Amino acid sequence: MQASIKAQPSQSDKTWKLRMQEWWFRNRSLVGFAFILPWFASFIIFDGMPFIYNLYLSFTDYQIGTVGTPPWIGLENYVEIFTEDKLFGKSMYNTVYYLGFSVPLRLIFAFLIALLLNMRVRGMELYRTLFYVPSVVPLVAATVIFAGLLNTRYGLLNQLFVLLGITPVRWLSSPDAIKPSLILLSLWGFGGQMIIFLAGLQGIPDDLYEAAAIDGGTGWHRLVYITVPLMTPTIFFNMLIALIGGFQIFEQVFILLNTDGGPLQAGLVYMLHVYNKAFRDFEFGYSAALSVILFLIIFVLTIVLVYTSNRWVFYGDAQDDEP
Amino acid sequence: MKLSPFVRLTIVLLMLFSLSLVPALAQDCEGEVIELEFMNWWGAAREALMDTLIEHFQAENPCIRVINQVQPWDNRAELLATAAASSNPPGIIMSTRPETYQFAISGLITPIDAFVEAHGTDLSVFYDGEIGLQYWNGELYGLPMPTAGGLTSLYIYNKDMLRDAGFDPEDPPETWQEMEEMSAVMTIADPMGVDAMGAEIIGDDWSFVAWLYTNNGKYASDDGRTLLFNSPEGVETLEWMVNFTNNINGGVENVTDFFQDTSFSQGDHPWYEDKLAFLRINTSFYGHMNVNDPEEYSDTSRWGTMLRPYNGDNPDATHAGTTGYNFSGAWAYTIPAVHSPEKQEAAFKFAEFIGVHPLGGCAFLFAQSRPSPVKACNENPAYYEVNPTWSVVLEGLATDVPVSITPVQGQLAEILSNAIEEALFGVKSAEDALNDAHADMQALLDEFWADFDAGNM
Repeated sequence: MQASIKAQPSQSDKTWKLRMQEWWFRNRSLVGFAFILPWFASFIIFDGMPFIYNLYLSFTDYQIGTVGTPPWIGLENYVEIFTEDKLFGKSMYNTVYYLGFSVPLRLIFAFLIALLLNMRVRGMELYRTLFYVPSVVPLVAATVIFAGLLNTRYGLLNQLFVLLGITPVRWLSSPDAIKPSLILLSLWGFGGQMIIFLAGLQGIPDDLYEAAAIDGGTGWHRLVYITVPLMTPTIFFNMLIALIGGFQIFEQVFILLNTDGGPLQAGLVYMLHVYNKAFRDFEFGYSAALSVILFLIIFVLTIVLVYTSNRWVFYGDAQDDEP
Repeated sequence: MKLSPFVRLTIVLLMLFSLSLVPALAQDCEGEVIELEFMNWWGAAREALMDTLIEHFQAENPCIRVINQVQPWDNRAELLATAAASSNPPGIIMSTRPETYQFAISGLITPIDAFVEAHGTDLSVFYDGEIGLQYWNGELYGLPMPTAGGLTSLYIYNKDMLRDAGFDPEDPPETWQEMEEMSAVMTIADPMGVDAMGAEIIGDDWSFVAWLYTNNGKYASDDGRTLLFNSPEGVETLEWMVNFTNNINGGVENVTDFFQDTSFSQGDHPWYEDKLAFLRINTSFYGHMNVNDPEEYSDTSRWGTMLRPYNGDNPDATHAGTTGYNFSGAWAYTIPAVHSPEKQEAAFKFAEFIGVHPLGGCAFLFAQSRPSPVKACNENPAYYEVNPTWSVVLEGLATDVPVSITPVQGQLAEILSNAIEEALFGVKSAEDALNDAHADMQALLDEFWADFDAGNM
């Protein structure tokens, strides 16, 4: 019978267990930290440390064949960029031009498609899939396809233009057409933004639309006065991500135009200039300085956008929650 | 006993496998085998040929195993530089002359004079103009293969197109003016640009430099310290290129579009469709033509080789080509400095085999119907059979002029290339484009020489 009696925990065991529970309760956020640890570790190793090393290199004359510690030259690289580098201004202009058109166009395009895909019609899942499929095509593959489409003599677009009696466009051989070609290509990957817009649209309560309908609001009114204002946080997010990504455009230009950026360097975007300085001219320190400048530009732009966002981004009326 | 088909097949395969081991066993190495990664750009089409060369080398050197690492052509310079600068570079590298110089001043590759002396390598077997291009600052850094010559001095031309246009197919143009006249007749415009073209005369900076020498001009002084390309001959040359391109080909965009996404080595080039009358070539084109269109290659009533035309209005001008300029000049096999003496020794043996051995570069180039930098190889009478225009090729080699360059040639070429583009697109006049480029390039060159003279490199 003795064996069937369960052992009773002693007073000290109870205290120890309570202490553990109390410690765990106080430090329960550790679980959260454990979850973010893999990301955080990779951020430090693959982003943070290279960033700091890159910053250091930007103050050195690190070139191919440099053995040991590269010579420290202070701000010389930065001075040269702003005073002597003709391609710095050119590549920055090309990049800003590209951003100025591609970001708004892509946002508008993705938003309009998201609006269509938010309608209640039969087979919508199929349409959503079809519109998203281009976004899962790797960028390199998509660019190669576009290179074929944009071929002046044999490309599908120009063949179509000729059939319609439109003058063919020298997409990749005319300096005037290079940037529009890149902007056109940028529209291809709108699917990611479209999905985010779609998620945002589905979060808008139906009763707002019903109330507007009762008050006699037309479709246009609902779009302008309900949908767009409530979507501004999503628009802002998509815009920010597109701007940051747009500044870093590289692969498609590299594939379509090679390292010189096409005729008259009309497609020489900033990242291509960074690449050329590093891997064509082998001036790694200089290239590091160029990339630090790009980081600063993106950083300042992001801060400005975030600070000015409260003027046009609608996050809900906070006063409603007050007693 | 009757064996099943499967067993019989297995036995046959085993026998074949054991037979394939015989040469390997016969060439067994008694010491340690050194692996030599051979980074090269001979391309997939010539990979089998290179493998044969390597087999011959390994038969003579069983303790060296060469790994043929054929690289993609895209981003060649970047691939090469990063490999050369890494802590574990390939055992031996195929590099162009500007790259060789650049690696030399960076200390990435080792001079080979000591190996040459130790092995008793006879450098006099090379043409002076070929081996001479591989020296930097008095030290030899590589042995050449293929030729630096014959890369810009030759054109091939389409006899059918000449015949159809009413010209004598056996009398190709000698001068700029004759080529202009013929091209004007053979170039046919269409709504997309041009459907057929007489001659394409533009390209990167090296194309301008090649034409410059056919106008009795010069790129740089012999000591490589002063750039001379913006001379009156240079301006006249670029003006002629711009006018030809605009007046006959309808502008630079037409030319770009005409050749867009095509390659002579791939067989989709307008040449193969009888759409191009005069094509500037380097001597590798014979091999490519033979592979892509053997029927045409063997029929010399359809094509011929001619020398690059010269400016008939300049009494001092004559046929010419350039050697050792930028990309189009002077490949060599260089040895990274970080490797052990044993590996460097193995690399030199292989470089020497590629360079001077009859079964090395000599046989390799003969198989492609192109010339060798080794004099004796080109004297093989069989060349006249494998390349029906061999006499013109030799004539072209004789017209080639070596060009002085420095390790900063890559950056200089980039500036010159952009200047030529500005002239072709009408952004600047030929004279302004060349003068502006000259100012920037000379400043860069002066900076280099100042550092060099001060012993900073």
